[in-house]
Amino acid sequence: MFGALLVAGIVHGLIIGLAALAVTLVFGIARFPNAAAGDTMTAGAYAGLLAHQASGSLALAGGAAVAASGAVSLLGYLLVFRPLARRPVASLLVAAIGVAFVIRAVLGLIFGHQQQVFQVPLAWPIEFMGLRIPPMDLTLAAVAACALAAAFGVLHLTSIGRQMRAVADDPDLARVSGIRPLRVMVALWLLAGAAAGIAGLMLGVKTVVSPEMGWEGLLTAFAAAILGGIGSPAGAVLAGLLLGIAQEVSTPYVGFTYKIALAFVVMLAVLLVRPRGLLGRVEGVR
Amino acid sequence: MEAYIVAIAIVGAIYVLLTLGLTLQYGLTGLVNFGHVGFFAIGAYASAIVSMQGVPLVASFAFAALLAALAAWPIGLVALRLRDDYFAVVTLGFGETVRLAITSEKWLTNGVQGIPGIPRTFAGLGVGLPGALATLAAITLVCVAAALALRRITRSPFGRVIEAIRDNEEALKALGKDPARFKIQVLALGAALAGIAGAFYAHYITYLSPDQFIPLVTFYVWMAMIMGGVGRVSGAVVGALLLMLFLEGTRFLRDIAPDAISGVAMASLRFGAVGLALILFTLFRPQGLVGDYTRR
Repeated sequence: MFGALLVAGIVHGLIIGLAALAVTLVFGIARFPNAAAGDTMTAGAYAGLLAHQASGSLALAGGAAVAASGAVSLLGYLLVFRPLARRPVASLLVAAIGVAFVIRAVLGLIFGHQQQVFQVPLAWPIEFMGLRIPPMDLTLAAVAACALAAAFGVLHLTSIGRQMRAVADDPDLARVSGIRPLRVMVALWLLAGAAAGIAGLMLGVKTVVSPEMGWEGLLTAFAAAILGGIGSPAGAVLAGLLLGIAQEVSTPYVGFTYKIALAFVVMLAVLLVRPRGLLGRVEGVR
Repeated sequence: MEAYIVAIAIVGAIYVLLTLGLTLQYGLTGLVNFGHVGFFAIGAYASAIVSMQGVPLVASFAFAALLAALAAWPIGLVALRLRDDYFAVVTLGFGETVRLAITSEKWLTNGVQGIPGIPRTFAGLGVGLPGALATLAAITLVCVAAALALRRITRSPFGRVIEAIRDNEEALKALGKDPARFKIQVLALGAALAGIAGAFYAHYITYLSPDQFIPLVTFYVWMAMIMGGVGRVSGAVVGALLLMLFLEGTRFLRDIAPDAISGVAMASLRFGAVGLALILFTLFRPQGLVGDYTRR
């Protein structure tokens, strides 16, 4: 029982980790909590669903999810967040909610509100050290690992990734060093969108696809981003795993509906006790 | 027809109260409260549950306001120590957590089945027009009192301090004022207004369930405030009336063309319209329609 919950928690945690990665990148570099991240996930899930229905290939679905979420994310930046860059953070917060609602409305109009599922073949669970692991969980874990490896590769091995980290560290210093802000921002929103897209796809495969799915996962993603330390990609993934496991393991005790409340409590506790999170830098949240 | 107009006037007045609460918190003090619906829900459920135990409505309304204000207290204590953006995330989480608690704690709230048969305000006058008119009179009175109180606050020393918190908190601290105390008071006052609005809602609709308290309600109120004009009492009233026009207009649209727009499509369209309004007003007209043009 515990082992099964642990496995479910790890897969769930990888999903949260990817979503939190999208949140923390934007929070660290563009400097506001993007409430549209959840609905960007939903866009990826629907794009993946369409591709999967058309081709039956999960790899193609992943490509479609990344493309769609990346595009949605970039569009949000160019049309809304970029013109608001010099406004108070409250404007960005309100506008992000607006973007989230618009994405959800468009998806609801196109696809309707009934829940849809990925038609994945049923398979016998694999026995491993007394644990029964559904093969789909292994596939999803592999997908998440690849996505994370790609994201960290971009962040740490490429020039644009170095520039992004420089802007996250000190925007003014980055600017006087000749880093072009627009290029960094475009790369940031594409990367954050892609991570959200994979998270949405995985969430859709694991549960159901509906226009509300992303918004419902948003709070958990915020909690993981804060627990991991804002602006710390590795922290986001670690915190996502911890939260995912905690949510799954606690479900038999606190019930299904309090999963999200657990994330809220964790978020409050972190903000009060250790505002810089697990791996964050010392930075004023107060 | 009269019944219909009275009905939307009552719901409109409930939104005026909610918008006044948010105007106090965000418009005047700059607290980004994304969990307004949580206080609204607490007020609604508190008054409904207590009144169904036989407590008179006047007392249950006061209890609703008190409980909502008390709920704001811990949120205030936590949030005071946080920057705007974190505060927004925390309050968003608070609103969702209240709804989850209502869904889960069936012994108290009857869960998703909801609470039917909540006593009406002015039930002595019957369920028809006289009772509704009396309710409308009562809520209008509360709205006017709240609006006057808010206007009074903006001209008082208290008002100058909270506006200073919004404009420059560091300068205020340098002058020796403690913003924390003022922020908690403002949060609690705004929450109490939302709680009273919730009580009116509960005793007017007479049925409560968790899905009436989705985050969308919070952003209806934000939309009303931003459309009307942030930081203005008159703006809150104008905005809430515009919101009512929008909500009823979309319903009307569906009534005249039920085949063209299905119920779920209409729900999506409303979402999209609220989202667009939030984006477009923030981008192009942050002062709202009757906003304060003397400051940015």
